[in-house]
Amino acid sequence: MKDEIGGGNAPGAGPACGVERVDPNALAAPAASWGQAAPPPRTQDVAWLVGLLQAGDSFYPTGGYAHSLGLEGLVQEGVVRDRATLREFVLRSALPALQHTELPLAAHAWRALAAPDWSQVGEICVLSAALKPARELRAAAGSIGRQRAELMAALHHHPLAQEYLTRVAARAWPHSSAVSAALEGRVLGAPLPAVLAGLTYSTLAALLSAAMKLLRLGQNACQSLLTEALATAPALIAAAESVPLAEIGWFNPWHDIAAARHESADARMFIS
Amino acid sequence: MSEFSGHLLLQAAARANGRTALAAQSFRAPYHISKPYWDTDTRTLLVQVVNPTAGILAGDRLESAIAVGAGAALLVTTPSASRVFQMKGGTAECHQHFSVAAGGWLEMMPEPLVPHRGCRFRQTTRIEVAPGGGMFFADLLMPGRVAHGEAWEWEKLCLEIEVRLGGELILRERLAQSGEELRALADFAGSGPAACFGNAVLVAPAGESDAGWRKAVEALHGDGLWVGVSPLRLGGWNLKLVASDGVKLRRGLRDMRRALATAFPRLACDPRKL
Repeated sequence: MKDEIGGGNAPGAGPACGVERVDPNALAAPAASWGQAAPPPRTQDVAWLVGLLQAGDSFYPTGGYAHSLGLEGLVQEGVVRDRATLREFVLRSALPALQHTELPLAAHAWRALAAPDWSQVGEICVLSAALKPARELRAAAGSIGRQRAELMAALHHHPLAQEYLTRVAARAWPHSSAVSAALEGRVLGAPLPAVLAGLTYSTLAALLSAAMKLLRLGQNACQSLLTEALATAPALIAAAESVPLAEIGWFNPWHDIAAARHESADARMFIS
Repeated sequence: MSEFSGHLLLQAAARANGRTALAAQSFRAPYHISKPYWDTDTRTLLVQVVNPTAGILAGDRLESAIAVGAGAALLVTTPSASRVFQMKGGTAECHQHFSVAAGGWLEMMPEPLVPHRGCRFRQTTRIEVAPGGGMFFADLLMPGRVAHGEAWEWEKLCLEIEVRLGGELILRERLAQSGEELRALADFAGSGPAACFGNAVLVAPAGESDAGWRKAVEALHGDGLWVGVSPLRLGGWNLKLVASDGVKLRRGLRDMRRALATAFPRLACDPRKL
């Protein structure tokens, strides 16, 4: 039951940060009446929350700042040129890709890490790489995923993270940023919606941070776009949680082609 | 209207004289195959798979399994596009399984899939290549009957592909978007209302000449044609094309095969020889 409401650590891994239970209301504050501030969420449990805030912060050394996740390729192709086209890319491509690929991968990994079912975890790692036909996008997810998993093991000395790294090395599973986000959630004792919210935020923030370096965009223009995108997160996350493993995937050939062409671009600012 | 549970089974094997022959074949309507043709220049057996009916209709369940043994080389093509017709009820499905043994070569070059207004169609493609085996698979998708002003109007379309090399999953792709979602993406990327897609997978041992053909393929990009090439995990390549119309897509694929043929000579086999 604890897993269903999204609480706790992997059995046998021991409690992380002394957290045993998560208040299911923590992520669902009552709606505010018009013109009134929303009532505060009813939770006393913030240990996993501060852990997720740390993992989602740009100060956290995942190497994400070096990647544009395919955006630079689309800028070079002239598809993304300004805030309006960036907005269209976020709404038409980045958010659906999250909903149909990265978030469902993380959700399945989070569930698989509960037991943990290592065979399933390995399958998800391989699937995560196979879903990225462009080498740079695959390498970016692998690099960020490896860094995140190693940080979890190093900072929290958590047996689940250490066991994950041991198995990844022994079986040559590809690292995955989605699986590592799930691992962070399990180590910190975070509920699934919060894990997916963290992954949504870190992906969008990295993308828009890269956009600020690639386009003539100010902080406020990016923050307003981030706010608009994040407003869709609750529906996105709810939909992603129920995507079956066999139905994970999203088709955007322009994004794949731009990322593939970025591999041999004459000049570039980002690794991906 | 008749519903078909068609199947196609082909097994290609190398004979003592070095030629490839169909060691086993079985098919049932709507599948039919032509008399195979041995291409002496590329040492490849060419087989055309024909659908003598109008196309794919509601209720059709199509299964195909093509296996190529060690030392054999097979090119399978179709003479015309596969049209998936409007469905007032029900769905149609096509499940394809292709396997290549070490030392074998298979090229799958079907003509494009054309989903009509209101169709509901699912296609799964499973490809398994043993280490040392080779394969080129090209899947083409048109947005609809563009000449009739009908595009992006399928009700449900799901195209899935999985590629395994030595048993390990190296590629999985799934197109399940609505026509409206894809049309919007095509508009956004500048490919226009008649954008069409080519998705190809090349599995072959890495060679010293990879940089050469890759550069030639990448040079096809431009003037309404998007082309990208990227290596897959553990081996093989994904090659993607998006064209603003069907003519450019065909031309792009033809030129891509020509560029690839400099390193993979069997791709010089002309699929239109029959």
